[in-house]
Amino acid sequence: MQPTLIKSLGIAWTLLYAAFVVWIYATAPRTFTEATTGASVVAGTYTIDEARFRAARELFGREQYAAARDEWMRADPAGRDARTQFYLAYAFYREGWGRVYNDDALFKQGLEAIERAIQLSPDGALAVDDAELKIRSAAELKAELRQGTESSVGDLNPLKLVRERK
Amino acid sequence: MRRARACFESMKNHRDSNRLLVRHLLLPTIFLTVALTGGLRVAAQTGAFIFIAPPLVALVLSVLLMLLFARGGLIDLRAWLAGDNPPLTNVSHALTLLALFFASAQAFNSVLPESGLFRWMFAFFFLWTLWNNQFAAFDARRLLRSLAALFGTAFVLKHMLLASLYAADGGWLKRLAGALLEGFTQGTLGAQESFAPATGYISFFTLALYVLGLVLVPPAPGIDRRNAPEHEAESLVARYRRLPPAERSLLHEEILRTERGRLEDEIHSTRTD
Repeated sequence: MQPTLIKSLGIAWTLLYAAFVVWIYATAPRTFTEATTGASVVAGTYTIDEARFRAARELFGREQYAAARDEWMRADPAGRDARTQFYLAYAFYREGWGRVYNDDALFKQGLEAIERAIQLSPDGALAVDDAELKIRSAAELKAELRQGTESSVGDLNPLKLVRERK
Repeated sequence: MRRARACFESMKNHRDSNRLLVRHLLLPTIFLTVALTGGLRVAAQTGAFIFIAPPLVALVLSVLLMLLFARGGLIDLRAWLAGDNPPLTNVSHALTLLALFFASAQAFNSVLPESGLFRWMFAFFFLWTLWNNQFAAFDARRLLRSLAALFGTAFVLKHMLLASLYAADGGWLKRLAGALLEGFTQGTLGAQESFAPATGYISFFTLALYVLGLVLVPPAPGIDRRNAPEHEAESLVARYRRLPPAERSLLHEEILRTERGRLEDEIHSTRTD
């Protein structure tokens, strides 16, 4: 083997391995699965588990929101799929919504999920094609969640009791 | 005859290629693996990985160790990074030395307790040892032996004695120390995070790999100093210069006792010439 080739290979390999070590310490995966998921995200080969996604959607339809969220989180362990994050936020919204008052903790988690969904969508405008949902755009869901966490004089309006969940 | 010469040339080529592979590929890989696993712990409760970046004290210890490598002759910096070297060689060497620096920091990280009084005691003893060694006479072999002993002792103290002391199920040392220190500390020794036994195995592997890496480091890459006939004499002279005056005069006496006749003959022949 040519000495120059060995040296060039050595430099490239050292830089690559060093970048991997830095990446591992920066992301601090807790399991091998997390590490491989993270690596597939970096490599651009990451895909969500479609079967789990569909199972979660069924649970969502039966109003089992906590279980649906768990399934969506397993379907998208790295939180890199905009559509899954949208549904996750929607599940937080549905479960957190109340006629008299909303569950702030769930709404805040929903806001975090919808922010992720917006960041992950290429142009920041995410729309989901699902006829069973009343809110289909990420911007609308975000506004709904934000409104739910804010306190205003409107909260005292008795007509609020007749509003419906979307 | 021609075939033997060709065979010899081929062997020499293989030897050169293997040396280059070790220096430019294997050594960085070993040191970066040490840098990766040196900060790895496994949580006792969940079995989850915990990656601990090298603390500041480990970086300071690593600087002292690198100075010691240079002083002890384990690394001849002027040969590793020289104006005469091709740029590619210098870049590769610089990366290897950088990997060695971080591997050293992580090797310390691997044997330093995570928190509490013991951490500072360990750090202090490491600092003390390395600082003292800066002023001691060392050659590469002795330095390696000393480092293996240093890391080995720290490993036994942390992963065997301290691990037993802070084991969740109460190791033998915990019960003994609790009984001994009951009067002073109500039987407790402060909080210390406990890790799964796998952490000890990872640390052992890390330190073994680190020492192996140090053994493979050529003091002066590209120069086969071990085979050079003048190397032994050079190393003897260098060691002679590091001797304290009392030991030097002892050496003078010994040389004069055994070599006086030959030395006088040499001087006499030089004068007559």
